[in-house]
Amino acid sequence: MQTILIVEDDRKIAELLQSYIVKYGYHVIVTTDFEHVLQQFQQEQPDMVLLDVNLPSYDGYYWCRQIRAHSICPVIFISARAGEMDQIMALENGADDYITKPFDYGIVMAKIRSHLRRAYGEYASKHEEIILHKEGLSLYPERLELHYNNQSVLLTKKEADIIESLIERHPRVASREALLEKLWDDQTYVDENTLNVNITRVRKKFLDLGLLDAVETVRGIGYRLYISWNQDDGL
Amino acid sequence: MKLFLKEHALLIVIQIIQFSAVMSIYWLDGYRNVGPALYSIMLGLFFLGGYLCYQYYSRRHYYRRLQEPLLSLDDSVQQLDQAPVSEALEQLLRQQYRYYQQRLATINQQQQEHLTFMNQWVHQMKTPLSVIELTVQDVDEPEFASIREELERMSSGLNTILYMARLRTFEQDFHIRSISLSEVIREVVQEHKRLFIRNQVYPDVKIKDGDLWTESDQKWLFFMVSQLVVNAVKYSAHTNNKVILSSYIVGHQAVIEVQDYGVGIPASDIKRVFEPFFTGENGRHFRESTGMGLYLTHEAAQRLDHQLELESTVNQGTTVRILFPSYQR
Repeated sequence: MQTILIVEDDRKIAELLQSYIVKYGYHVIVTTDFEHVLQQFQQEQPDMVLLDVNLPSYDGYYWCRQIRAHSICPVIFISARAGEMDQIMALENGADDYITKPFDYGIVMAKIRSHLRRAYGEYASKHEEIILHKEGLSLYPERLELHYNNQSVLLTKKEADIIESLIERHPRVASREALLEKLWDDQTYVDENTLNVNITRVRKKFLDLGLLDAVETVRGIGYRLYISWNQDDGL
Repeated sequence: MKLFLKEHALLIVIQIIQFSAVMSIYWLDGYRNVGPALYSIMLGLFFLGGYLCYQYYSRRHYYRRLQEPLLSLDDSVQQLDQAPVSEALEQLLRQQYRYYQQRLATINQQQQEHLTFMNQWVHQMKTPLSVIELTVQDVDEPEFASIREELERMSSGLNTILYMARLRTFEQDFHIRSISLSEVIREVVQEHKRLFIRNQVYPDVKIKDGDLWTESDQKWLFFMVSQLVVNAVKYSAHTNNKVILSSYIVGHQAVIEVQDYGVGIPASDIKRVFEPFFTGENGRHFRESTGMGLYLTHEAAQRLDHQLELESTVNQGTTVRILFPSYQR
């Protein structure tokens, strides 16, 4: 398990980040002693450091230089300062990346993963494949496959995203806005029509698995996974 | 000269009356010798003329000073003449100058303190904002969507303050380099994806003429396009219309265009949209208009040497273009 050290003096942000990153299977340590960041670094030997610029005694740049004197592990700065100078300073002092507050979990996680991959190789982190289970239904978001009753269908990325949201939200409704936000990636801008089309495709995929009316429309809000199959199959 | 003559007109008139009075007394007394009388008048006028010339010559700077408008505060401390009145005026102006200098310095300092405080404060606010944002990010309940919306509003407000402050120190703060227009458009759209989705307005990105590169400042250009997009979305919310973002070439210029099919701007307001704090007709219907977005965009465009064009028809929409004087492919 890879270890990530968070050096951030705002306790709440540190804890929120910690609880989020832990979900992805990393070991996370939060610094509480800002006088001895380097000692803690050497003790714990983390695989990556998230560093704030404004710290109680020395600033983040200072600690980054200290860490750099001993290790080449990835260091990502997290700061409220968005100025170009601050970013340049950070990179000059040995940082690998810079994220400005307020930030998005998704971006932090993506950057952490990409830097870990860079530093330790794609397969160095043996993270297990994510599988989502629901009443006999299994979604493999990384393989883009949906399994039910020894049958499987291939999904597109968008369909997988929709099904993932539906499973995660079940039995609550996944709102249209949340679905749109999830489908919207760098290159393609998804509108209501695209969402409708994709929902129709998802329904079709469920039908292919023999599951009728699996996606229920909740007028004005969004969609909900409707599970009508588990009683008979006893799965 | 004019002022001098005006001021001494009475003296001249009195002198002439005096000459004629003295002459008429002699005349009435029976002394009728014209030659010496004329001679004494000539002599009198000569002395008067001499006096006036001396007076004018010794105070000419003083009179000029009184007549010319001050072009700047520094004008008030010129060297005047040696005459007592001139020296008095000079001293008065000097005093006034010093007094205003002091006032200006105090006010400048106060403003500087205020600005520094604002900047610090804005940065401090970002941390609690991040905490709230991280807390609600993964919760998909309707009330949290509304909290997220308010959060976005707050952080865009804070950003505007920061850019406002940056505008003052623009010369130290910008960094020109080659920038891809399509990249800027993509980033802006990505940044505002929630705004689009929430308002049920969707972007339509049209990159014509390939990927265009131009010289600009990344941060400011991003800010400018963001402002245009935020306006476009705000004024066409819930109409199911698209906002078209395009980049293309016109003549020798590269263009970023943001076009919406929203409410448009009344013709009477169009001239003034780039003025600070101007919200106009639409500002009354849409809350949270500060009138700063387009002003800042315009100011930044001027400083970066980009042109800004705005066309609008009420109920049909608005098109804003940023024109870049040169480009590379």
